[in-house]
Amino acid sequence: MTSTTTSKTGRRPSGHSAPGRKARSGATRPSGLPWILPAFVFVVGILYYCIGETGYLSTLDWDGVNPNPTPVGFDNYTKLFQDPIFYQAIWHTVVFFIVTFAAQTALGFGFAALLHSKIKLGTLYKVIVFTPVIIAPATMAPVFRQMFAADGQLNWFLDHIGLSFLSQPWLAQSSTAMPVIMFITVWNFTGLTFILYYAAMGQIDPEILEAARTDGASNFRTLISIVWPGVRGTTVALAMLGVIGALKTFDVPYLVTIGGPNYATEFLGTYIYRMSIPSAHVGYGAALSVMLLILALLGAIFVAVRANRKDGDTGV
Amino acid sequence: MLGSSRIWKRRPLGFAAAIMSGALVLAGCAGGGTPAQNGAQGADQGPADSGEVSWWGWTPDQAPADAYIKAFNKVYPNIKVTFKKLTIDGYDAAIRPALASSVGPDVFDVAPGAANGSVDIYGVNALDLKPAVEKVLGADWESKLAPIGVSSLKNGDKLAALSVGSVFSGTIWVNKDLFDKYNLQPPTNYDEWKKVCETFKANNVGCFVQGAAQTAFNEDTLQAISNNVQPGVWVKAIAGEVPWTDPTIVKALTLWKGLFDDGIMQEGALGTQQYPDANNGFMSGKYAMVMMGSWYMQYSTVEGMTAAISGAGVADPKPFTQLPIRFPDIAGTGNVGGVYGDADFGLAVNQKSKNIAAATTFATWLGTSTEGQQVVADVLNDIPALVTSQPNWDTVKLVNPEVQKPALEQLIADAGKSSEPRLATVVADLQTAIGVASTTVAAGDATPEEAAATLQETASKIQ
Repeated sequence: MTSTTTSKTGRRPSGHSAPGRKARSGATRPSGLPWILPAFVFVVGILYYCIGETGYLSTLDWDGVNPNPTPVGFDNYTKLFQDPIFYQAIWHTVVFFIVTFAAQTALGFGFAALLHSKIKLGTLYKVIVFTPVIIAPATMAPVFRQMFAADGQLNWFLDHIGLSFLSQPWLAQSSTAMPVIMFITVWNFTGLTFILYYAAMGQIDPEILEAARTDGASNFRTLISIVWPGVRGTTVALAMLGVIGALKTFDVPYLVTIGGPNYATEFLGTYIYRMSIPSAHVGYGAALSVMLLILALLGAIFVAVRANRKDGDTGV
Repeated sequence: MLGSSRIWKRRPLGFAAAIMSGALVLAGCAGGGTPAQNGAQGADQGPADSGEVSWWGWTPDQAPADAYIKAFNKVYPNIKVTFKKLTIDGYDAAIRPALASSVGPDVFDVAPGAANGSVDIYGVNALDLKPAVEKVLGADWESKLAPIGVSSLKNGDKLAALSVGSVFSGTIWVNKDLFDKYNLQPPTNYDEWKKVCETFKANNVGCFVQGAAQTAFNEDTLQAISNNVQPGVWVKAIAGEVPWTDPTIVKALTLWKGLFDDGIMQEGALGTQQYPDANNGFMSGKYAMVMMGSWYMQYSTVEGMTAAISGAGVADPKPFTQLPIRFPDIAGTGNVGGVYGDADFGLAVNQKSKNIAAATTFATWLGTSTEGQQVVADVLNDIPALVTSQPNWDTVKLVNPEVQKPALEQLIADAGKSSEPRLATVVADLQTAIGVASTTVAAGDATPEEAAATLQETASKIQ
């Protein structure tokens, strides 16, 4: 395949591209810069200005209100690298990403495959799977708090089916609070994973699937060897979004457990809020925010580089 | 940059876009500002007896706020006050950017100490209300107001806010109807408390509920236990006069742990928040006891309790008789009955307000006038700031006056004798550390001795 040759040699095919560039260069080339400038300035002015401002705030000892903040240089970063809660939050993020990404991928891919097989009431199932995505976590948080409370519906259900030995105060224990947060997140976002996989599967050439079946491949074999590689781009994109999403996790743990008990569900997002708002350490919170940005970029780059390397290896 | 100095002739639309971009940059820069630039004074004070005043706070509840505003409008019909109630946890996040902007509230709540709406933080945004108070109460104004409400709401020399009233903690509220139903008496010691809880549990009724996940409220219980062990040590520890490893504190943490282990505290307390969970649990009749302070007096009235039960999600609210009881003598020392408190909240006037005069009128009327403070007294949310104001029991409609009135009078009298602060002297980091100590001990992640040592280590860094 041409793409395989291109990526393996690492060179662009010569021929039509160079003359094309030449033809559009010089005085006759329409400059796009003025046209993108408003959006560019808007993005730079809002987004990057905020990042710069956060970087500046991270060098201050400031409560967020006092008109005379104290410049402390990189003290907030020194403190941050000695803060056990910071490392705990990162560890939680890593575990959270691995578990939720794996679960969402498995469920989303499975639902998408099933609903491509023309089952009855397929549209209804699609709606059911996707609906949690459009429900705000703030709306659902009280419901889950009630459901997982010591006297909540889950324990009631367990008691009534003879599994009372499993009932426990789910949100009050460090060992069970994090799995609950993961469960809620998987419930919330599996619909998004499903819809992206569903769309990606629709792009796979039916002739390839037909050929696989003609060659005697089972449904499972077709899924593993044809469909799964065929949606690899979607998986990589979801992994990248998953890394960034895990690092930004805030609403579910904050609304359901307030990061507790004993920091058991503390993430960088909740810790930044805890430091910046209730504790009024805005400078320290800004330093944590800068670290979050760096980690998000590194995570996204890592996933992208791994994906590109694999592309090069397989030639896909 | 654009490739030609005459680009505007050849590409007018592109040039316009570039100009617009420049304008956007300037607009963006103009909207920013370093922290030092925030805090300009409002120029136009507006009229004192008319206008619109927006008031933000996490307290009081909507019903008392409406009662205050209604009474205020009888005197000042041309000032329209709008109260926006925010959550306890969300108040700081909302008020900080609001005060930094030029469109924040005219009046906002502040409180002593490091809890939400700290006067130490937000006092810089407040107008000095001393001249206004002097004008209405005279030069001896300080003698007419509760001292606790004046000293704790100062920011430097500035009187940053006017206390509406005080709140005191150290009490437990009980659902008397539930106690009567099971022929129980409110507990006075640890053994009685355990037996009461066993009886309630046997009848599928929750006993004592605490939102231990919202750790600021754990302080109330720990302070009550500590005072039961040895009065005064808790406050001294906060002041740094005794270490947190003092035997009294260790003993208090041990007794606190016992509440979890001996079935007094509800199962799953560490995953429960005081508001809304514990409050709703008590109001809906699921639990018979809750650790709350004098602010719960407001739910002793028919109107207050009906609204609270309804707010807890009960479809057909039926008021029950609730009573404050002294924290049981769980240490067996006989040291009971002490309460501790601060100014509940103060009304601060935003110095950037465009209605400073009207806002000041509202704050001074509610915090210092006889009429305003009488409404505060009658609503029973706060113990009034004006020392001469007392509830008019003839007009207050209690659910069960015969039983409740003596108990409420006793609580008000106990509060009047107390000079022990509740949260006013606790800084934010110490509050966090106390919260961590309370939850790690409760979860069994640390022994009381270990938690006390960690707490002392943190406290020494703060001091």
